[in-house]
Amino acid sequence: MNVELKGIGNSSKSAISMRHMTKKRLLGKIAGKTVMWCILLFFLFYTLFPMIWLVISSFKTNVELFDNPFSLPKVWQFQNYKNAFQVSGLAVLFRNSIVISLCATAFNLFVASMAGFVLARQRFKLREAIFVLLISGILIPVNALMVPYYKIITQIKLYDSIFALILTYGAMGLPISVFLVRGFMKTIPWELEESATIDGCNFYQRFFKIILPLSKTGLITAGTFQFLLSWNEFIYAMLLTSSTSSRTIQLGIRYFSNQFTTDYTSMYAAIVISIIPSLTGYVLFQEQIISGLTSGAVKG
Amino acid sequence: MNKAMKNNLGIILFLTPALVIFFVFFVYPVFFVASTSLVRWDGITDITFVGVNNYISLFKDGTFIKSVTNNLKWSMSGGFIHVPMAMFVALLLSSKPKGWKILRTIYFFPNIISIIALSMMWMAMYNNEYGAVNALLRAVGLEHLQRNWLGDLHTAFPALIAYWIFYIGYFMVIILAEISTIPESYYEAASIDGANRIQQTIYITLPMLKGIMGTCITLSMVSGLKQFEQVFIMTNGGPANRTTLLALYLYKQMINYRYGLANAAGVMLLTFGVIVIFTIKKIFSTNKIEQVG
Repeated sequence: MNVELKGIGNSSKSAISMRHMTKKRLLGKIAGKTVMWCILLFFLFYTLFPMIWLVISSFKTNVELFDNPFSLPKVWQFQNYKNAFQVSGLAVLFRNSIVISLCATAFNLFVASMAGFVLARQRFKLREAIFVLLISGILIPVNALMVPYYKIITQIKLYDSIFALILTYGAMGLPISVFLVRGFMKTIPWELEESATIDGCNFYQRFFKIILPLSKTGLITAGTFQFLLSWNEFIYAMLLTSSTSSRTIQLGIRYFSNQFTTDYTSMYAAIVISIIPSLTGYVLFQEQIISGLTSGAVKG
Repeated sequence: MNKAMKNNLGIILFLTPALVIFFVFFVYPVFFVASTSLVRWDGITDITFVGVNNYISLFKDGTFIKSVTNNLKWSMSGGFIHVPMAMFVALLLSSKPKGWKILRTIYFFPNIISIIALSMMWMAMYNNEYGAVNALLRAVGLEHLQRNWLGDLHTAFPALIAYWIFYIGYFMVIILAEISTIPESYYEAASIDGANRIQQTIYITLPMLKGIMGTCITLSMVSGLKQFEQVFIMTNGGPANRTTLLALYLYKQMINYRYGLANAAGVMLLTFGVIVIFTIKKIFSTNKIEQVG
């Protein structure tokens, strides 16, 4: 812009006034930019500050934390992280959470992909009605269903087992997964399936050999959401299990304050450790999560 | 004929698991909650039909009323402060300033971390003795504002809302994506007509965002109704029931074996959900469940 201005030069009055105008506009632009960055940086600070503070605190001694919450640790206390593992039984919590989340995701995707295939690519009566019914579940606040979920799980004798959570989580995420998977499967060209039919592929072969492999992106998106739901869920983990052997990481965090009592900084280390897997997963699957949110996915 | 029959069998086979799960975990529980909200059921004595007595007890219970008003405040803050703020930031980021992708990534962080972990983190932040909030106030010379944020009758509930309300990443990402679908030619035409960026935003972008805003407000308000973990971990409804929410109320009834009352509260929770969905749908009339592709 400046270069252009120079080019116009000081040759005439109008050019001068124009230059004056643009200068004003330029100032306005700078002011606008400044305000914009203040706002953007505020949100950045608000998001990052508590996390960074927690991480730094987790390397301090408790005396240091009480002395000055903002000081850096004199000696970085890696011992806290060792304590965290020993006191909280993080290994078991992680193992349970990983097994439950992976199984719930596999189970959920299996059911959702079959339903999604039929709802996206077969013509039959009631198709739209069934689809709308299934995805209406997205908007049901499932926390209202604590009593029935508890009763169902005890009735089928799954109480206090990891299967209770695998089944419940897989079911809770089913509406959104059906929605995502069906949406993705609809975008696969019909010609592919038609030519496969001509080549003699039956219904099941078309599903397993053609549609399912081509839906990989959609399945990864739905799977990421399902995994996060299972990993982060708390209420039903608390209601449907009782023993430490089937406890998930989220439920474990709740007991940290009992386990660590006054060793706050080791507790923070445990919390930091518990956050790392989901943040890593996010960084790895960021594209899927964002595209899942934005492909009209959650336009529920 | 034969082939069509095979397909029908396949359709039934493929739909059955989803439908069975949906009936067991969504349809049946909703009917279960609705019907058992009309009985007295404590897990020991026989279940007896009491009509709307549970609902009358609910509305006579000050804690329930407090839960409803708190939930209302929570949902409203979500729909009418949180989402508009997300929209505002999305508008800023849509001009693609330097590093906007990194900002988008970081703003989204809190949506990846579990609410339990975030709650523990903010409990530390708000802590009376060594919390960062008080330390921050000391650092900028506002010592007199220091307090036990979660223990104080007046600040406990605002403090709970304050912590999530600036975590705008989730809705920001959705709205930002919607902005990017608006055809560039609209803006070109407007700038030829002499409209500046602010005018373009007001007259082109905002009207085009009506539908997605309706969706986001609905999602935010319904998720406001579901909230449980924060209050359960950080205050357990206290001090003096100032921070109780419907899901927490329901939970407390349930663990005290007042199933009928718990389910009546559940019905209220579901009803509020339906009211929210239909009200917002009416206000933002373009909002409906859209089908992808």
